[in-house]
Amino acid sequence: MPITRKFYLTKEGLRRLRKEYEDLKRLREAKSKQEPPAILHSEDLNPEYLVFQEDLTFLEFRLAELDQILKNAQLIKTPPKGKRNIVNLGATVTLEDKDGTINEFTIVGTLEANPNEGKISSESPIGRALLGRKVGEEVVITSPIRVVYKIKKIKYQLS
Amino acid sequence: MKEKIEFLLKINQLKEIPRTGWVWREVENPETIAEHTFRLMFITWLLAGKRKLNIGRAMKVALFHDLCEVYAGDLTPILYYPSLPKDKEKRKKVLMKWARLSREEKEKIGKKKYQKEKKALFKLVKFLDPSLKNEIISLWIGYEKNSSLEGRFVQQLNRIETLIQSIEYFGTKNITEHTNWWEWTNEIVSDPILLEFLKAIQKKFYQLPFSLKRKELTDILNFLLEIGKLKRMPRLYWILRGIKNPETVAGHIFTVAIVAWLFGQERKEFNVEKLLKMALCHELSAVYTGDTTPYDRILPKDEKGRKKVLEKMLRLSKKEKEWIFLKDFKKEKKAIEKLTRKIPQRKEILELWEDYRKRISKEAKFLSQLNTLSVLLQGLIYEKEGQISAAPLWEYAFETCDHPLALQLMEEMKKKFYG
Repeated sequence: MPITRKFYLTKEGLRRLRKEYEDLKRLREAKSKQEPPAILHSEDLNPEYLVFQEDLTFLEFRLAELDQILKNAQLIKTPPKGKRNIVNLGATVTLEDKDGTINEFTIVGTLEANPNEGKISSESPIGRALLGRKVGEEVVITSPIRVVYKIKKIKYQLS
Repeated sequence: MKEKIEFLLKINQLKEIPRTGWVWREVENPETIAEHTFRLMFITWLLAGKRKLNIGRAMKVALFHDLCEVYAGDLTPILYYPSLPKDKEKRKKVLMKWARLSREEKEKIGKKKYQKEKKALFKLVKFLDPSLKNEIISLWIGYEKNSSLEGRFVQQLNRIETLIQSIEYFGTKNITEHTNWWEWTNEIVSDPILLEFLKAIQKKFYQLPFSLKRKELTDILNFLLEIGKLKRMPRLYWILRGIKNPETVAGHIFTVAIVAWLFGQERKEFNVEKLLKMALCHELSAVYTGDTTPYDRILPKDEKGRKKVLEKMLRLSKKEKEWIFLKDFKKEKKAIEKLTRKIPQRKEILELWEDYRKRISKEAKFLSQLNTLSVLLQGLIYEKEGQISAAPLWEYAFETCDHPLALQLMEEMKKKFYG
């Protein structure tokens, strides 16, 4: 991955990654002292970090990755009022299928993408198809099979 | 050791669990989770290097990505289609498209899926050694949460592998049949190489006039289609022994890969990435030769005679064994050469396969013993079900295993299955 690449993050995403970075640094420090680390019993610690307890290689790897991301992080901001009718990073887009069914996506940077939770990357084919489009426009979101949606609503609610 | 056998027995179920999405779409004899994992591991190997990712780690992400389904089942379709119509036609129409849901609903379902699967995974690995347990969990979390480089890459490949499978099942004539899978894939793929790989798929199957910067992507796609045959190829030895619905070659390769990781990871003497790649290659020639067994050249034609021969391990002179080895080796090598002729990893695959067949490196010697024991374990499961006697497999294991770990594993299997 090129070093200069920008990582687009929401405020919440950036906060979460910073917290993970700090927590893991504390964990590494505690482990290097070879004391029973108090941090492991802290309520603040995400239980998922506990998997790093035994394996320093993973811990170091994740720390290096986070370091890289945080150095190149770019905050996603709500666009000015006049541009909020256009799909951009951070927008939640409500789409209407021809049969009237509704589908929704939030467009995020690749790091926060989790389609299982409705958050899709701006670099995915669907993300690309939606970027720059306005309410009322028809969008073809897949090829080779055409799936056409009408943009019903665009909402920015960045946290 | 006991815990590892219990773990393997649980994992073995993935060779029997069909993927829910195909079952719902009435695919006849659909692929299992293990078979899907086999090809996902391969596509990961072939493409991860282009991204300068850690190939070994990425292959492990692929290997672990669905392990939780032993307990959680294949949740995706179940959760994302919460209310399917009972009417068959209406149901089909809904399933044709990927789930249309509000952002809140998706978030709720996504979190529920993650929690359920995490709980299932923790249950599965609970008794494994901490280093093994932690490797599975941390790589799986990186995959599920999209929070590691390899995890993000394999997430995308997972959908691409499923998309290819959907085209193999439904063809391209009635393209609405797999709208679902294109939508599902287009939601996630963002890596430039994988976006181009999607173009290669469209070019091949829909004759779209894309010009590809990386021509080898089409060759990789063709290779993946060829090795897909192993998902549908039952193991010949089990067929000869009269097993109903036996494991496939791809299912067996999945077991050997997981066994290689489980026993190779803790031994510093082994290169685990090499073990995993070798596990994927070791039966690859079957794509063209069909599955083979050491009995093939000497089995009598009458059923009674055949049964008698199969009840025991082969009794052959050294000369006969050498002759069989040489004949098979030549035939298999030709098949591997044909299969890999256009892909960039050709040299590596040929070397790994030859190393394995000739038992040259320490990894090859170890893996061949683990392979024998994987077959033995499967045989013991069939024996417990009353389908066969595992006697010839024990005999073969006694003949081939000498690594202390393999001998220890044999002892534990004895205890487990015979008390």
